[in-house]
Amino acid sequence: MFLQVLFRVLPSSDLWQASLQFAALLLLPALGGVISERSGVVNIAMEGMMLTGAYAGVIIALFTHSLLIGVLGAMICGGLMALVHAIISINFHADQIVSGIAINIAALGLTNFLLFVQTGGQGIPSLSDALRLPILSFGPLTNIPFLGAVLFHQNVVFYLAILILLGIHFLLFRTNIGLRIRAVGEHPHAADTAGVNVHLVRYSCVVSSGLLSGLAGAYLSMGIAGIFNSNMTAGIGFIALAAMIFGKWSPWGTAGACLVFGLGEALSTRLQDSGFSPNLLATLPYLLTLIALVGLVGRTTPPAADGVPYEPGTE
Amino acid sequence: MALPTASSDERKPPSPLITWVRKFLQAAGRPLFAVILAMVLGMIVIMMTSPGSIFDRFNNALFAYSTLFTGAFGNGQNLSFTLVNVTPLILTGLSVAIAFRAGLFNIGAAGQLAVGGMTAGIIGFTFTSWPGWLLIPSMLIGSILAGAIWGGIVGILKAWRGAHEVVTTIMLNWIAFYVTDYLIDGPYQTKHGADQTDALPAQATLPHIASFYNSTLGTFLPKIVNATQYLVDVGFFFALAALIVYWFIVSRTTFGYEIRVIGQNLKAAKYAGIPIKRNMFLVMAIAGGFSGLAGALQLMGQAPYQLIATAFSIQTTGFDAIGVALLGRMTAVGVLLGALLFGGLREGGTIMQLNANIPGDLVYIIQALVLFSIAAEFLPVLQRTITRFSSRSRKPMLIPATIGGTMEVTNLPTYANTDEDSGAAHNGAEPLNTANTVDSEPDAASSD
Repeated sequence: MFLQVLFRVLPSSDLWQASLQFAALLLLPALGGVISERSGVVNIAMEGMMLTGAYAGVIIALFTHSLLIGVLGAMICGGLMALVHAIISINFHADQIVSGIAINIAALGLTNFLLFVQTGGQGIPSLSDALRLPILSFGPLTNIPFLGAVLFHQNVVFYLAILILLGIHFLLFRTNIGLRIRAVGEHPHAADTAGVNVHLVRYSCVVSSGLLSGLAGAYLSMGIAGIFNSNMTAGIGFIALAAMIFGKWSPWGTAGACLVFGLGEALSTRLQDSGFSPNLLATLPYLLTLIALVGLVGRTTPPAADGVPYEPGTE
Repeated sequence: MALPTASSDERKPPSPLITWVRKFLQAAGRPLFAVILAMVLGMIVIMMTSPGSIFDRFNNALFAYSTLFTGAFGNGQNLSFTLVNVTPLILTGLSVAIAFRAGLFNIGAAGQLAVGGMTAGIIGFTFTSWPGWLLIPSMLIGSILAGAIWGGIVGILKAWRGAHEVVTTIMLNWIAFYVTDYLIDGPYQTKHGADQTDALPAQATLPHIASFYNSTLGTFLPKIVNATQYLVDVGFFFALAALIVYWFIVSRTTFGYEIRVIGQNLKAAKYAGIPIKRNMFLVMAIAGGFSGLAGALQLMGQAPYQLIATAFSIQTTGFDAIGVALLGRMTAVGVLLGALLFGGLREGGTIMQLNANIPGDLVYIIQALVLFSIAAEFLPVLQRTITRFSSRSRKPMLIPATIGGTMEVTNLPTYANTDEDSGAAHNGAEPLNTANTVDSEPDAASSD
């Protein structure tokens, strides 16, 4: 019964389109996490930054009647949350996990608080089509059976996410800047001795993670849902965290993990009529990550200086 | 640097009470600073979002805070509501605190609470014919065991596989949420088809303190009038008992001593021959037990005495617990005070939204600000900056390292390098990366 439904569902283009859509949503914050943690700042606050972005995007778009300003605003607000994380954990040596948890709580409180102040608990209206992130079509390519629907009929952010993935891989492993980022994350003292500005690198990396998470939030509220609901991220930021760890802190590995988790998510809603609980399938990302952590599929090791505040002149 | 002078040596030693008060004030200084800072910043948030002149805004904020306070502690009924919130906060706070003592960061209180609540529920729904004196203890013990297993997994993975507990607890949290949702929506779903279970059988619920008092001591002592309006249940006493158990474990047993050594200096613990792996497992299991009990008491103590799908993942108790433990500086008294503060904020926030029309979600902002200011070393960093600034003018610094190194919360675990074998991994990475940085940088630069 279960297998029958599985085999019926697997070849459908609808399943794979939804998988890729969810994978892109996970990929953006997960890549943000990769950059941040590669530079040595633990980031478990992607959830909060996404929620901030999702809220800010919708509000700013409704206010300015401009899609572009809405998306930029979402990114900037996500970046501002990240900036708080950076200041608190880089300058003030806060425990980065506590700071991350505080960001998540603050984002939940702040979005609900502002939502209530603005609408008196009524909720905000959904976005008109002009203010939603559009789905791109590639003319004749869209008509290719299967592939057309899966690859060439996606939201604009999906293609952006792929470009960002390529860009971050290139940045981290093919450029001087990437070398500096990785050096700062592995051994900040050595990097400092070699003339790298450790704090500057860490600041830019943490803020970039906020920008990416904010963009993902905009994708969720302005692209997929078309509306902002209270606490609408509902753990997506934590799946992204899992994807980052499952992908062993590398961009390509993370992308692979996002694909697997995206497929799991898309399957979970489609296997319902087989009697298989979507709730049980939803544990898949976390179970896989646990297995990866335990070392059954190779050891996962974070960057050496991940989470250690850097103070010049100490060792 | 105040050197003891001769006269202070001759002075009579202060009485134990005064020393205790002085110690208490010293310990409470930083948490108090954090709370006050958060309240002031929260006030600014209210002032920014309310209409009118600056004076109106200020009044508005004061009014909001006064309703917040009276809503939390103003009268007996509100206080009883607050204590309902305090019960799980104490238990999860202890769960986080005991792990902190061993240098472990338990973010998994939320998941352990869910597993404990679910287990208590399963026992209660299955053995409906059992009498209360048998059913209630089995539910409580079952929840403690379930939480202990959920926490123990983290300890085992940490001790024997080096998997970082922050990541494993986050993963286990979500696994717990989804599995409980599956059970609530599947095997234990109510006949009415809603996303919830049936209510517990009546003999499996805990009585409210007020009516419990009236029916026992109240038979010969003066009765409490309007007992039904005081909602706090006897679960609160279990939480208080847990505080004593925590204090006893941490400061009166060998095990407690050992975990404190592990938390403060892993190397010293290793050289002293303390069984680190076993203790890591045990401390996480105990932490899980505390949280698991919280889940059971939540279910058994308060109406509607049933489990509701997604309720575990929505409630923030497990994360508030981190604030409670940090505010309480991992002491039993501190955890009680922290739980009272956070529980009061939660209850007062609801009243504030009703009476002052300020969204109750302000409470989350205040809680986040408390976490920020207690985690950030505002005071030490300021001190350090001033020291460096003033000493620079006098003479070149020869010992900047020792001054820069005054980190107070060294017993907070860090993300990397906390598993005991990772020293080797770090050393392995060191030459490789220094080589990378120094050697290949000119190459990379020239290739640009």
